[in-house]
Amino acid sequence: MRANFIFSEVWIGLRRNLTMTIAVIVTVAIGMALLGIGLMVSSQISGMKDYWADKVEVSVFLCKKNDPFPKCKGSGGVDQEEQAALRAQIEGMEQVEKVEFEDAAKAYENFKVQYASNTVLLAAIQVDDMPESFRVKLKDPDTYGAVIESLEGAAGVSNVVNQKKLLENFFGLMEKIRGFALVIAGFLVIAATLLIGNTVRLSAYNRRRETGIMRLVGASNLYIQLPFVMEGVIAGLIGGVMAAVLLIVTKVFLFDGMQGYLGNSQLTWETVASVISFTMAIGVFICVLASFVTLRRYLRV
Amino acid sequence: MIHFDNVTKVYANQNRPALDHVSVDVDKGEFVFLVGPSGSGKSTFLRLVLKEERPNSGAIHVAGKDLARLSNFKVPHLRRRIGCVFQDFRLLPNKNVYENVAFALEVIGKPRRFIRKVVPEVVELVGLEGKAHRMPDELSGGEQQRVAMARAFVNRPMILLADEPTGNIDPATSIGIMKVLDRINRTGTTVVMATHDAAIVDSMRKRVVELEDGKIVRDQSRGVYGQAY
Repeated sequence: MRANFIFSEVWIGLRRNLTMTIAVIVTVAIGMALLGIGLMVSSQISGMKDYWADKVEVSVFLCKKNDPFPKCKGSGGVDQEEQAALRAQIEGMEQVEKVEFEDAAKAYENFKVQYASNTVLLAAIQVDDMPESFRVKLKDPDTYGAVIESLEGAAGVSNVVNQKKLLENFFGLMEKIRGFALVIAGFLVIAATLLIGNTVRLSAYNRRRETGIMRLVGASNLYIQLPFVMEGVIAGLIGGVMAAVLLIVTKVFLFDGMQGYLGNSQLTWETVASVISFTMAIGVFICVLASFVTLRRYLRV
Repeated sequence: MIHFDNVTKVYANQNRPALDHVSVDVDKGEFVFLVGPSGSGKSTFLRLVLKEERPNSGAIHVAGKDLARLSNFKVPHLRRRIGCVFQDFRLLPNKNVYENVAFALEVIGKPRRFIRKVVPEVVELVGLEGKAHRMPDELSGGEQQRVAMARAFVNRPMILLADEPTGNIDPATSIGIMKVLDRINRTGTTVVMATHDAAIVDSMRKRVVELEDGKIVRDQSRGVYGQAY
């Protein structure tokens, strides 16, 4: 097998079908990038679910003086007795693992950390504006229903916020993004397959003279077909490299950008590398498969 | 070398067989003319030898191999032992004489050193010395056919099949082509040539097999083209 013969044939084939080759490369690149983004979102979701699983808590906010919340209207804020009664009630529940009291000063500290960049907001909010709360950690985060129900009506409680519910909304959105990316990737894979088929068919037609002679002088089927398949492989590889660049850009600007809001990004470079190699393998595999199937139809050997 | 035993070939969508119970033997080193009108089955005969088509019945042996039992995988190896020349030359227009001949060796994976040694020899054998770097469109029809013969012979095949090699060439030039075929035959290569050219058949005095409507109507050693044409 003479490698430089094959490669010169491949080069000629790619150049003759330049527009089709570009179409294949772009389609493969976008399709594989979307597939990769879907996979990255997937791994981000599962990573975040693990990360948050032992951190989600139910926040029970207490009424303060002149609290605008409807349940607190008129009351002068929660007093010591009510607070102690609430604590006892929460600790008495069997679903509860542990309760912590967060006073206004601590809440203000947390607030300052979270909104460090927003100076206007920091200047407007004072320690007294922060609500006091009980942070309730449940043994099983899924059993929040009964806890919330019984605490919401209790005296001195302004409202109850379940972090799990908030996270679930967020995860729902992420899952929608993932599904959308994967569906579009699926369509693009089909488009890429058909485009490659067409490219190979054009190539086979352009080179029917050469392949006819090759057949006649007894070139093996592999030798005749390899340049066509290599054309597909090279187009697929270039598309894969472009997809890899897109994925790296997405990781740096989108996933790492989210880090500020979500505590930490669960997407490591290791994951990105395995996603890239997976999508590249898929891209090349599609190209090889489409080339072979088309060749069987259009290149009699 | 070529052995047809009661071979029948009917193309799909056709009632009349292209070859009808044909039995013929061609020995090693023989020179055989295959004559007959268009549609008499000459080209079908050649295509069957190359296993480009399969017979509907009967057995074909080529170079000691039973073609019915030869797997598709091995067909290229059969074709390496058979050279082919056609009426329309089938040269690659973007390659020069040397490259056209070398192409046949490159695609079967011969080493470059071997190609550099063998190709000039064969180019000389067909009488094209000094023209190795001409492009096909700079050559006359006769010269182009010589290139095609060099390509067919460069791998030293056991059999050379020629399908009307002089069909596009004037009679004077055809004599030169026949001389090359004769030279190739003298190296021990079996030559089977399908032709319409009565003058050539008559002048060569070789074995003549005449086909008509897919049947062999004459098989004569040292024959002539025949009265009917």
